[in-house]
Amino acid sequence: MKRDSLWEAYLKRGMSRRSFLKGCVALTSLMGLSTDMLSKVVEAAEKKPLPVVIWIHGHECTGCDESFIRSASPLASDVVLTTIALEYDHLLSAACGEPFEKHLDDTINKYNGNYILAVEGAVATKESGIHCMSGGHTFLHTLQKAAKGAAAIIAYGSCAAYGGIQAAKPNPTGSAGISHFVGGKTVVNVPGCPPIPEVMTGVVMHVALFGTLPPLDGDNRPKQFYGNRIHDTCYRRPFFDAGMFAETFDDAGSKAGWCLYKLGCRGPETYNSCGNLRWWQGMSYPIQSGAPCIGCSNKNFWDEAPFTDRLPKYGKIGDADKIGVGLGVLTAAGVGAHAVASIIQRNKRDDLTKEE
Amino acid sequence: MKAVKEVKRKEYYIFSPFLRIFHWIMASQIVILFITGLLITKPMNVSTTEPFFTITSMDLVRDIHFTSAFILCASLILRVYGFIVNKGDRLFPRVWEGHFYEETVDVALHYMLLKPHHASFLRNPLARMSYAALYVLLAIEILTGFAMYFMTSPSTTGGLLFGWVNMILGSEMMTHYVHHYVAWFIILFAIGHMYMVVRAEFMEGESEVSSMFSGKKILAHTPKDANELD
Repeated sequence: MKRDSLWEAYLKRGMSRRSFLKGCVALTSLMGLSTDMLSKVVEAAEKKPLPVVIWIHGHECTGCDESFIRSASPLASDVVLTTIALEYDHLLSAACGEPFEKHLDDTINKYNGNYILAVEGAVATKESGIHCMSGGHTFLHTLQKAAKGAAAIIAYGSCAAYGGIQAAKPNPTGSAGISHFVGGKTVVNVPGCPPIPEVMTGVVMHVALFGTLPPLDGDNRPKQFYGNRIHDTCYRRPFFDAGMFAETFDDAGSKAGWCLYKLGCRGPETYNSCGNLRWWQGMSYPIQSGAPCIGCSNKNFWDEAPFTDRLPKYGKIGDADKIGVGLGVLTAAGVGAHAVASIIQRNKRDDLTKEE
Repeated sequence: MKAVKEVKRKEYYIFSPFLRIFHWIMASQIVILFITGLLITKPMNVSTTEPFFTITSMDLVRDIHFTSAFILCASLILRVYGFIVNKGDRLFPRVWEGHFYEETVDVALHYMLLKPHHASFLRNPLARMSYAALYVLLAIEILTGFAMYFMTSPSTTGGLLFGWVNMILGSEMMTHYVHHYVAWFIILFAIGHMYMVVRAEFMEGESEVSSMFSGKKILAHTPKDANELD
């Protein structure tokens, strides 16, 4: 069976060449490419058959899907119905039961080596993986089965990338990111809790149109979306540089929209596109809404509480600075006492030598 | 007590000028780095309603911190050069030599005030270990510092050279924590260091303090580790 290209899918739906080209322009910028790449995008969209996508879900909350279906440019419905051939999706598929599970096997066999595998959710590793099962199999089993013949693997969300919230200490289910369970294949990490919808569609479209993985950083995150800190793209950065900070969530600085650094904002440690792409078609993002970034696209962010402070607190003792001052004072007192004792000791010693 | 006494002493040239200059650059930069570092973690709030340049500006504080860090790192070249050309700059903790441990116990007992004195050294084994530890702390600060600094653009050379630190520590926030905590340990070291130096001066009167200016120690006893200068 011949699979349609994006252009053919447009033709079938009676859409004009003009709207196709507009779609390509949108795609180009969405994928973080420069506009002189447009001709290549158009070419790929005309010729390349729509990529087959298998989308599986592991140990997670499916919040990434909630994000994905809110993608506005391109619309998630356009992505799912016209720009990718979504053959299997735990969450979005209408089918269910044994025929549906059989369809997964059929798809894997039919498009062996040619499909894109999108994974949401962590792998539960403890007790042979029984903490996360669907269709009678552990998620680990499904993942390994689907990963074997995948042309590209995309890990959507912090769970698939790093283990996610359920991997927080003490991690009772042994949750971990998928990268160690796919037989050594490169996994494109698209972390975030959830990732920005346009980032999700952008990454899958890049793989679909060019047949290659987007440029990745050292942590296998696509550079075009995770190449900058939120802090370095934040519109509140001038307030940081000037030293204007909200001290509490209800003070004048907070109301005036000053920097949330002192309220524990993780912008300076977090790589994501929230600062430039923002959410819901550039409407807003957490910092813009007055909530400090919690660094949801970072590895281990779930274990770095409190989110509203720059340093962890240790019970009643306080944070590292308080402990540091305490230790400093103790050390100073200690050396003071030692000095006195040393002098006494020296005088005794000198008396002894005199007697000799 | 006589005001003038005749004492026979020997002069040992230990520290090269490169080490001494490095020492004082390091000492001053650590103070600057520590103060600005605390201010970066918990910045002062300027009480204005419009952004404008003030002395408390976070931008300025960070620039001072970074400049100072680069000066400290650059001055390490002096330390390395001194290390190469001068034996006195190479007073390692000689953990591979058996007597090192006996001497450590001996010095420790004296410092615990259980013994009236310890053998004379150019640099005693406890001091040697503490300086080695300081260099480890310093290395951690440099690695974590640059790991944070260069990650403004992760794909540049600096990012590639130091980005792995964030990976090893698990996250960049952890890098911040480690950087901050280790800074406190350096300050605790500094308190202990200053005390021990001044103490050695008033206990033995063997030019411990001035040695970091003149490069020489003038000792009444023959130090056990004098052979390390040959």
